[in-house]
Amino acid sequence: MCQRLGTEVHAEEKSTIEPEYLNPVDLTLSSDGRRLYVVCSGDDTLREIALSTLAGPTASAAPAAPSAQLVRQVRVGHRPRNVAFSPDGKTLYVSNEWSDTVSEIDAATFTVRRTLPAGWGPGGLTTDRAGKTLYVANGIGNDISVFDLKQGVEVKRLATERYPHQVALSKDGRFVYVSNILPHISPYDQPPVSELTAIDTRTQTVADRIILPGVIELRQIAEAPPRLGGYLLVPFMRPKNLNPLVRVEQGGMLTHGMAVVQPAGPAGRVAHNGSRVTEVLLDDIDYYYAGTYGAAFTPDGSVALVTSSEARVVTLIDTARLQKRLRQVPAAELANRLDSAQTFVVRRLPTGDDPRAIVVSPDGRYAYIANRLDDSLTVVDVPRQRIASTVDLGGPKLITPLRHGERLFHNASYCFQGQFACATCHPEKHLDGLAWNLETPKLGRDRVANRTLRGIAETAPYKWNGRNPDLETQCGWRIAKFLFRSEGFSTPELKDLVAFLKSIALAPNRHLARDGQLTETQERGRQIFFRTTTNDGKEIPAGNRCDTCHPANSHYTAKASFDVGTAAKFDTAGLFDTPQLERVYQDAPYLHNGEALTLEEIWTVFNDKDTHGVTSDMSKNQLNDLIEYLKTL
Amino acid sequence: MKEGKRRIDDCRLPIDDWKRRVGKPRGPFNGPSTVKGPLFQSSIVNRSRQAGSILHSALALVVILICASVAAAQNPALYTRWENFTQANGLPDDKVLSVAVDGDRVWAGTENGLALIEKGKVERVFQVKDGLSHRVVAGLAVDKNTGDLWIATFGGLSRLSGGEFKNYTNLTSGLANDIVYAAAIQGEYVWAATTAGISRLNTRTGEWSIFNEKNAPMHEPWSYGIAVSDTKVYFAVWGGGVLEYDIAGGYWKPYNDPDGEMEIVLFRNQGLIHDIVSGIAYNPETKMFWASTYFGLSGYDGRNWHNYLSTDSGLASDFVNAPKSRGNEVWACTDKGLSNLDFSTGTWVTYRPSTEGQHGEILITTPDKKVSRVETPTSIAHNYTLNLDFQGDDIWVATAQGLSHGIRKPLKEISSHESARSGH
Repeated sequence: MCQRLGTEVHAEEKSTIEPEYLNPVDLTLSSDGRRLYVVCSGDDTLREIALSTLAGPTASAAPAAPSAQLVRQVRVGHRPRNVAFSPDGKTLYVSNEWSDTVSEIDAATFTVRRTLPAGWGPGGLTTDRAGKTLYVANGIGNDISVFDLKQGVEVKRLATERYPHQVALSKDGRFVYVSNILPHISPYDQPPVSELTAIDTRTQTVADRIILPGVIELRQIAEAPPRLGGYLLVPFMRPKNLNPLVRVEQGGMLTHGMAVVQPAGPAGRVAHNGSRVTEVLLDDIDYYYAGTYGAAFTPDGSVALVTSSEARVVTLIDTARLQKRLRQVPAAELANRLDSAQTFVVRRLPTGDDPRAIVVSPDGRYAYIANRLDDSLTVVDVPRQRIASTVDLGGPKLITPLRHGERLFHNASYCFQGQFACATCHPEKHLDGLAWNLETPKLGRDRVANRTLRGIAETAPYKWNGRNPDLETQCGWRIAKFLFRSEGFSTPELKDLVAFLKSIALAPNRHLARDGQLTETQERGRQIFFRTTTNDGKEIPAGNRCDTCHPANSHYTAKASFDVGTAAKFDTAGLFDTPQLERVYQDAPYLHNGEALTLEEIWTVFNDKDTHGVTSDMSKNQLNDLIEYLKTL
Repeated sequence: MKEGKRRIDDCRLPIDDWKRRVGKPRGPFNGPSTVKGPLFQSSIVNRSRQAGSILHSALALVVILICASVAAAQNPALYTRWENFTQANGLPDDKVLSVAVDGDRVWAGTENGLALIEKGKVERVFQVKDGLSHRVVAGLAVDKNTGDLWIATFGGLSRLSGGEFKNYTNLTSGLANDIVYAAAIQGEYVWAATTAGISRLNTRTGEWSIFNEKNAPMHEPWSYGIAVSDTKVYFAVWGGGVLEYDIAGGYWKPYNDPDGEMEIVLFRNQGLIHDIVSGIAYNPETKMFWASTYFGLSGYDGRNWHNYLSTDSGLASDFVNAPKSRGNEVWACTDKGLSNLDFSTGTWVTYRPSTEGQHGEILITTPDKKVSRVETPTSIAHNYTLNLDFQGDDIWVATAQGLSHGIRKPLKEISSHESARSGH
């Protein structure tokens, strides 16, 4: 059953202009379950959908799927990301990732009441129980904005980890939990460590930084009912980036699952409060469910639902059996066991393309899933463990090459056993913050840091060794042979995928003033970047100036490889491709192997012979200035 | 100077003696000649005797009661009970360099890590193995807004938040130098005093700024202390005097010793006592900053300087490690004890271990230079004091041999004890 909503968007566009897809990414329900609110990041709107459940044809028959009707929509800021209700249900808050704002919407009139300036890249958000305070995760700023809603002002920011993404208010109102997509910046030869940040709503301070070892890409947070202990489910990806990627054939290289977190209470802030974290996989031994993203419980907690955006599946979990599994297998062992899911997964149901956030109706009968690349919602009949319907939100029907390419990017079925998609290691079209041991004839050598995909269209060649002249080479047979261990993409598919990759835009620069004017510090840094002489007047050889390898007219990359003295013990070559510098502040860790954890370390630690530009004559003030300039690019 | 020596038991003080010396009370009762502080009692009684009138006696009694109450409220009570924390009861090291109060929590920075004292005991110790950037913790700053603790160490600047350390060093960040003596919070900025200048981190943008001899009026970059007011940030610079940074304008104003670096003072109150400034404190109530130097204590009220030397005041020593101030209280952590000035009365009180045993010693110096000495059954841990913070009426003192918790005995309580003892 498929319902079509709205008439204002037509599928028959024939022009070369890319149609405006809706891209639903988040959704929430009214407290009575009769209204569904969907954030459409593609057309910058919030949509209100009326839900009504019709009785079945006979008294004994199952109720029909809820009918869905678009009631109205409101335009919000650019790239809206998440939505949250006020406790009284009278107000909706929508975060606008590229506008750096939060739209406050009157739920009755469905108009924007106020627009609140937020931090950099606002995403997940929630109010406190009283509805007086709003917490907003700033994905680019790596912090949480805390708003006094009465005054409409931001009163403080609390530091999170990297790329804070989703937030959830605990059922008792004591804590706001924040999931972070990227792990701690830590030594490149160590397993990743991620953080679930817990904020005490009474003190509005960070109460605990719950450590999740070995995993990255934490997503939607769901809390079990109190009778089940109130544990949290947090989807994650568990990479084995220290192993050579040839092990994809043996499985277990990139696994997908969820952390079961039992918060210990408010004793934190100065010390970890003893929260218990158990990591359990949702994959099967012979097939994986990549892109775990959305998580929700039924009101009674008997069923948990987790979406897998790159497997296009929603998994239904019997929580009683999950608990049994957690009791039976030691936590340290469980994190790597691929035989767990079969013990508690009761059903896997197909969704639309790129299923993301999920909500469950107050009566527990239906779950609603936002399918970002389908412009649709999947409605799950939870008790019957089946798809009740698919709601077409009315986006363009024309599937353009770009749209197709983006779907391919998020599709793990091209990989052996569905282990991962392009998006698995490039969450949000960016990077995963890890160094990987990719294809190499000598295992354990040539470890390379992941690189962002944002703004790469004109930065060929690709790969750290610069051997891939174009994205077709980068993503074609090489991907199939060395990474996916499968047939990979067909030629037409590859063409669309590359078109999509080239379309990935850079996010707005948060370090540069809107008018482009540099601050005094940035201007001093610019002069250092383009300097031709050292502080004592000696000429810097042309080959050792910043702008030689990072020219301004070419995305700050010369599109060539250079030896800047950064080859490490396990590297088989010393020439490395010059990375583009735009939005470099988001790209840590740095250098080809991710050894430099900060921009400073590039020069303070890894440039002792002045081979990566002449910097040894610079004062610390000058280095700070240079870095502030680099952040403006 | 004449010292009146007296031994007391169980915190009972020679309060009558002390009250006679502490000077006149301030406030609503200040002014009329009938109210002149502790000495007024005898003058009023004498007057009533001269009159021979019962009415006058009754009136005098009422005034006595009122004024005693005022004195109790406005004269500083003494810290007669000390609880000390050392390695013996959980500190990671006896040498405590810094202390910071965060509500019910007290943080102590030692030469071998950081300690959290809560509910009267050392609750937790953090060391390098726990993620702290260096074992020597020289300074602490609690961000009241975020709840994070910023830790100045000899190996960089650490942030403790939600049980996790995040470290900033000269190599990994824009920090000027890894030897950090002090940290302070000013809005979204974290300031750090280092041996190579002052560093400032914008916690929202991640931007680091460095202020040193290249871009600020400091001929010595070695910075020891930071104090923050609503509009200004003050820095103690070793050999460079006091630097004032205007937050709105972004400009600097130096305060230096008019005598240069001469270790004598030509004219009292002519300016900062000495350019070797070891610490700085700001008092938001009096809007004064106080600078500790190795040659005396200086205070500046925006117009006049108020300087104190051990030779002409009750300051225990000219070698002052750190100041602290609130209300009329000015504290000086010296190498010969902890000194407290009641700025309104000019009375000094110094706390130090007794040289004659296990007891504590309080020296009270009145403006007329008369000194009385009191022994207390417990003592501050050591005479070499380095830092201090307030916790309500209590004080916490970092010393060279432990952290001391000074518990104030309310004057009223002391009076009643004294009254009971004397049979009134």
